[in-house]
Amino acid sequence: MSITETRVSGCPAAPAGSTGSPKVLTRPPPDLQRTFQLALATVWLLDAILQLQPFMFTPGSNGFSGMLHGLAGGNPSWIAHTITWNASIVDHHPVSTDAPFALIQFLIGFGIVSTRTLKPALALSIVWSLAVWWFGEGLGRVFSGGATPFGGGPGAVLFYALLAILLWPRSGSDQPFVAARAVGVKGAKVIWVAVWALLALLSVVGSGRSPRALHDLVAGMNSREPGWLTRIDVSSGSFFLHHGTSAAVVLAVICPIVAAGVFLPPRFARATVVLAVVVFSVIWVAVQNFGGILAGGATDPNAGVLVIMLALTYWPLTNDRATADNGAWDPALAAREVQPS
Amino acid sequence: MTTTPSWLYYLFGFLMLVVAAYSVVLLVSSVATRRPLGWDVDISHLLMGLSMSGMFVTKWAFGASNVWELIFTVLLIWFLVRSILSMHRWGLHLSHFLIHAVMNFAMLLMYRFPVSAPMGAVAMSARGSRPDPGLSFVLAFILFASAIFTLASPNKGASRHGTHAPAYALEGAGSGAAPSHPAGSSTPVMSIETLLATPRLEDASHVAMCVAMGFLLILML
Repeated sequence: MSITETRVSGCPAAPAGSTGSPKVLTRPPPDLQRTFQLALATVWLLDAILQLQPFMFTPGSNGFSGMLHGLAGGNPSWIAHTITWNASIVDHHPVSTDAPFALIQFLIGFGIVSTRTLKPALALSIVWSLAVWWFGEGLGRVFSGGATPFGGGPGAVLFYALLAILLWPRSGSDQPFVAARAVGVKGAKVIWVAVWALLALLSVVGSGRSPRALHDLVAGMNSREPGWLTRIDVSSGSFFLHHGTSAAVVLAVICPIVAAGVFLPPRFARATVVLAVVVFSVIWVAVQNFGGILAGGATDPNAGVLVIMLALTYWPLTNDRATADNGAWDPALAAREVQPS
Repeated sequence: MTTTPSWLYYLFGFLMLVVAAYSVVLLVSSVATRRPLGWDVDISHLLMGLSMSGMFVTKWAFGASNVWELIFTVLLIWFLVRSILSMHRWGLHLSHFLIHAVMNFAMLLMYRFPVSAPMGAVAMSARGSRPDPGLSFVLAFILFASAIFTLASPNKGASRHGTHAPAYALEGAGSGAAPSHPAGSSTPVMSIETLLATPRLEDASHVAMCVAMGFLLILML
């Protein structure tokens, strides 16, 4: 068997073999939308495996159904009734409900991998996310006034649905940012502004600005966390107790700044995306505790990591030359920039 | 009271035995056809498959923990060295040997924190001694990402051969076809290899291994 020279883009050429002309394997340019789709699939696969933890098959108040029951409180009675109804079914049939729950998430994760099943998988993920938001997250506690973004409000699973929409496969360029490829630049901007406006609002309404509520949010999470995370929790809990309202107001101020970033020239837009990533990285670690995964019994990694992923889909991929004089994106100019010379 | 269905662990345990058996087929075909590509990955998958089947179903477990620890330490060092050599030869890149090193490290971690009761994977989540959950979670996430990106990669078979191996260079890149054989060398072993040693199946066994190992790591949380 002869070994022909091989060169993969980005790697040095392989040693020449005994015979044959050089064979060059070139990679296509990176498809960032595809990369984000696969990252989303990885999170779905993680969720599917988390759904198989022993806690999920445990009936009673110490199990998954008990957790679902607890989400009903604070919601309007008719919503609470639907949540407790679902929790009762899970309580009586933990295996025959939880195993299909996991299977659906496996189907979504692996479905996103194949380009043939990508659209059905993303569609299923939207439907599933909305169902989980209702029955599994108690509508993100929006109606009970506890949907602070610090705790994952308005519901981590909503961001799965949003990412499925923004990463809907569509041919074209990833410019000016990946999220614009599926819904267009204007549509993506509207979604971005709506998301950050909602996060700003939820930061300061209900118990979102209550120092005690924010402190309890962290204090209730550290029972089985590793020592280093417990120490972080103690610090963040103490911080919230003394500066909880200020922290909520600061977050409410940061959100509009991030929202405005999408209208700014790329260098400033990048700064706002970085701001969003840094803020929600801190929240994800110090408040959400990675969704409580490290303590066991979590169903997902909570909203922090998904907000970060969402923000990265808005990372400007054009430079300042590809913007119009008024500082707004010029898609036509951006598209010309990426055309081969 | 947990009601974790035992069939779930039997399912994963059986899957690991299938992967181990498939690795034996690949090893035999590699030796028979004198094409020593990916034999270290096959040995690693064989041993990990046998070992993990015993973690999922305790009565299938065999061998002393110390022996398994030694085996996975040797394999970890082997793949780390191969990663370094690969980077030395091809420049800084994400060598496929690295993910095999990660997998062997995860195996070592699971043996360092042994099961305390004869309940297989059920006991792993309930015992008192456990590694840092952050490490288990990071390793599990890397394995899940490896599973997803391996499946989606156009470089079929790269999980076993790597993208720089001659087999990949000639046949593997996106073809999804089975490796070709020397002219005029048609034997029963060749037929089996043609049937089973396909890049897609090789990747599938890697994906199964990653998902099962990630599950065990999540159970350790």
